[in-house]
Amino acid sequence: MTTNNTETTDIKPSIWQEFWSKEDWWAVWLGLGIVALAYIFYLSGSSISWIAVAPAKWSTLSQLGAQFSKNGIKYLALLGAFLALFTVVVSFIGQKPKAFILSFIFIFVLSTIIYAVGSWDQANRYNLEPPLLALALGLIISNVIGLPRWLDAGFRVEFYIKLGIVLLGATLPFTLIIWAGPVAILQASIVSLVTFLVIFFTARKLGLDHRLAAVLGAGGAVCGVSASIAVAGAVRAKKEHPPIAISLVVFYAIILIFLLPLVSRAIHLPTGVAGAWIGTSEFADAAGLAAAQSYGGLAGAHVGISGTAEQALAAYTLIKVIGRDIWIGIWSFVLALISVTIWERSERSETNSKVQIGQIWWRFPKFVIGFLIASIVTTLLVHGHSLAEYNKLVKPSLILPITALRTWVFTFSFLSIGLTTRFRELAAAGIRPFAAFTFGVVVNVALGYFLSVIVFGHYWSSIVTH
Amino acid sequence: MCQKCAYFQNDPGLIEEVYPGLTTMSSGFASVRDRDGLCNYNQIYLSARDSCPHFTPYAPELNQEAAG
Repeated sequence: MTTNNTETTDIKPSIWQEFWSKEDWWAVWLGLGIVALAYIFYLSGSSISWIAVAPAKWSTLSQLGAQFSKNGIKYLALLGAFLALFTVVVSFIGQKPKAFILSFIFIFVLSTIIYAVGSWDQANRYNLEPPLLALALGLIISNVIGLPRWLDAGFRVEFYIKLGIVLLGATLPFTLIIWAGPVAILQASIVSLVTFLVIFFTARKLGLDHRLAAVLGAGGAVCGVSASIAVAGAVRAKKEHPPIAISLVVFYAIILIFLLPLVSRAIHLPTGVAGAWIGTSEFADAAGLAAAQSYGGLAGAHVGISGTAEQALAAYTLIKVIGRDIWIGIWSFVLALISVTIWERSERSETNSKVQIGQIWWRFPKFVIGFLIASIVTTLLVHGHSLAEYNKLVKPSLILPITALRTWVFTFSFLSIGLTTRFRELAAAGIRPFAAFTFGVVVNVALGYFLSVIVFGHYWSSIVTH
Repeated sequence: MCQKCAYFQNDPGLIEEVYPGLTTMSSGFASVRDRDGLCNYNQIYLSARDSCPHFTPYAPELNQEAAG
């Protein structure tokens, strides 16, 4: 008995454990650490640009070769820095560092090739947008060639994307978040509510369980797989419910990564507007960022596409992160409340369920805190500089190196999406969940287009990102 | 609390193994998952803060049996 008590006490997690056991917090520590280091170098009259190396535009292979031979040591230093930082993270969260190191070297080499291909001056002509290239390459490797399972240790899609979003915060003025945040919240809330209700009631009409309907609805309406798994815990879903939602979200997210930029391109949407549409209608952060970055990369390279790459990313992030992601705790709380007070009254409940308001914070995606802090710090630092000073001093010494590092971690993430998507391993969803979710996707995409392009189009096409 | 129950498993690595595809667009180590996990008695996915009448205190030997 004493042993039991001791074990029970031992497994009780401490309040502080979350700070080093969750990827969200590590994205905050690393992201803000990198930003702080960049500021220190900048304020001392230097820059981290030496290590934030990236392939420059090239037109012949000999030019590319010359770049790599000149900067080879910088690439090795960058690999070493990423490896050191990320290995600390995986060690703390309880993964095997040895497997991670080998896997990450593999990711880094592939990402370097993708980055280099994307810098080819003919890349746009052949539609070789790096995010889509990374995704496609990953999908081919994982589904056609196959990789040993232990390599999965380095394919941390969510960690890379969260770190990238914190770094993205350092390149976005906080004034933009204040100015555009309310519109982002309004637009995203309308679409989220409508999509959730469409999926939920269609699923119920088709005879699906309340909890499965809620898990599916959250996946389509809030933030994809993360929302599904959060709501599954909140409503005490059956063990087999989350895989159904995971399969459907991954399936449609992969389709939309390619489809939304393709349609946006066909109708020449400005980058900010397309970013807002993608932010409203894509499911997962990483999938949407791949689509938004891909479309933003077309600005200036294709006739008829106005705006900048940064506008696509900014509009996307505002809608997705500020408009949708941060509300997952409230969705979970409300659905848990409905589950306990209504659904479980009419069904036999397996648990003595209580609804705890604390889950609004427990489930809050903490990386958003890093994103906001990074944005505030940059805004304060840049405040007082004229546009000319910003372009001459701040941008090359501070903003561009952080942007380069951000592009690296985003590429790791996009590649990891492809490498972890093994279609044959996804659970069969069944026709009724598929029908309910598909109806929600159609409504979501159409309503997202209507709000992003027709109602708020002028707003998203004119957002200022510097 | 389920967190202290032998039937409850919420190790993030294990959750990622049980749910293939979770790592594609989310993570077992994400904040949104809080401390949720699987109950091997009721076959549900729930919060570590929940409880039920079948609570069995965690002990290594019991846990191995439940996992097996």
